[in-house]
Amino acid sequence: MELVYSQEREHRELVEMPDRDLAIRARDGDLSSFEILVTRKTPAVVSLARRIVGNGEDARDVAQMVFLRVWGEIHRYDQRYSWNTWLYRIATNLSIDFLRSARSRERAHGATLHLVREREDASAGDASRTAEDAELSRLFEAVSGRLSEKQKAAFVLKEMQECETREIAEILRCGESTVRNHLFNARRILRKEMQRLYPEFLRGRNAR
Amino acid sequence: MSATSTVCAIVRSGFEGYLRDSLPAPQRGMLRDHLSSCAACRDAAAALDPTLLFARPIRDEIPEEDGRRILAAVRTGMELMETERRIGGRSRRRLLAPAAAAAVAALALLSPGRDARSARPIPAGSPSEASASARPLDSPPLPSATATDGLQPAGLAAEAAPPTSAATIYDWNPGAGREEPRVVWIVDRGLDI
Repeated sequence: MELVYSQEREHRELVEMPDRDLAIRARDGDLSSFEILVTRKTPAVVSLARRIVGNGEDARDVAQMVFLRVWGEIHRYDQRYSWNTWLYRIATNLSIDFLRSARSRERAHGATLHLVREREDASAGDASRTAEDAELSRLFEAVSGRLSEKQKAAFVLKEMQECETREIAEILRCGESTVRNHLFNARRILRKEMQRLYPEFLRGRNAR
Repeated sequence: MSATSTVCAIVRSGFEGYLRDSLPAPQRGMLRDHLSSCAACRDAAAALDPTLLFARPIRDEIPEEDGRRILAAVRTGMELMETERRIGGRSRRRLLAPAAAAAVAALALLSPGRDARSARPIPAGSPSEASASARPLDSPPLPSATATDGLQPAGLAAEAAPPTSAATIYDWNPGAGREEPRVVWIVDRGLDI
């Protein structure tokens, strides 16, 4: 009885612990701490991967790979640096790798699969999101196809994950001016694509 | 001017700075928070630059079930990684050996009505039926090595393999004609399990 109580108390303490402390414990081999980090970070990692790879099903696969990679590399985690930056760097790189391999598969097999997936995903994910988030999410997926991987990653990290430019530079391993450049070009392309693909949507908003 | 419209005016004056990435972080956060709750400012932002529609966290709510599945998959992957790490460069055959031994041990533990003490270890290389079926007759005898405190089947602690044997062959219920299955398993004591 006392043992159960003490385990519950330890679990509660872990749940309230900051990411960095949990990461340090996980680095020292504590599986429970790592599992709490996985549970805590799953929504953010799936969300980031979803914006980059373009659909929820693949994003969940990427998220699993991300956490396994993190576990395999956790001995390298340096506590002087932000845990989120480290996690997002791995998540961004794996998402970009996944996108590249998906694009090469798509070139080989045609775009049919992508279209089917897009439809399946749209119907499956809508129930769990607010209508407006779902709409924005679909809009981004539709208009972001012309962005380069780096432009997409920079934009997603900045706008949807609320990362600072300095953090994005660390994640993408480039300078802050390069990040600003990526952001500037991403906005230009997105603006063009939104006006090209959804003029009524934008006119409707402007008329309000 | 109402309090709400004052806030709206302040937020709208920050749009250009937001797009140039020159707003300090707190103002940036305030603008984003405001945009997620004020439809009029969202429309004004979209009129200036439609990409400002994305200036808000769009978090996917992951259903609990999906979260559990991801965690379960990660756990399984971690276990595999741990197994790989432990066996290092060992061959596939040696990877399968402990898995098979574990499966047989589990089978033995789950089978009711078995008397664990009826199992008897047979030193490797003994001319028994079990060893003959476990490896080809013309194969060389198993290499000898120092026995360790490795895998010990449940209930067999008193009947440990001779210390000079590298592998031990256990013959469970060797009595024939009792319509009970005969189980033979080999434990390689050189494995670090």
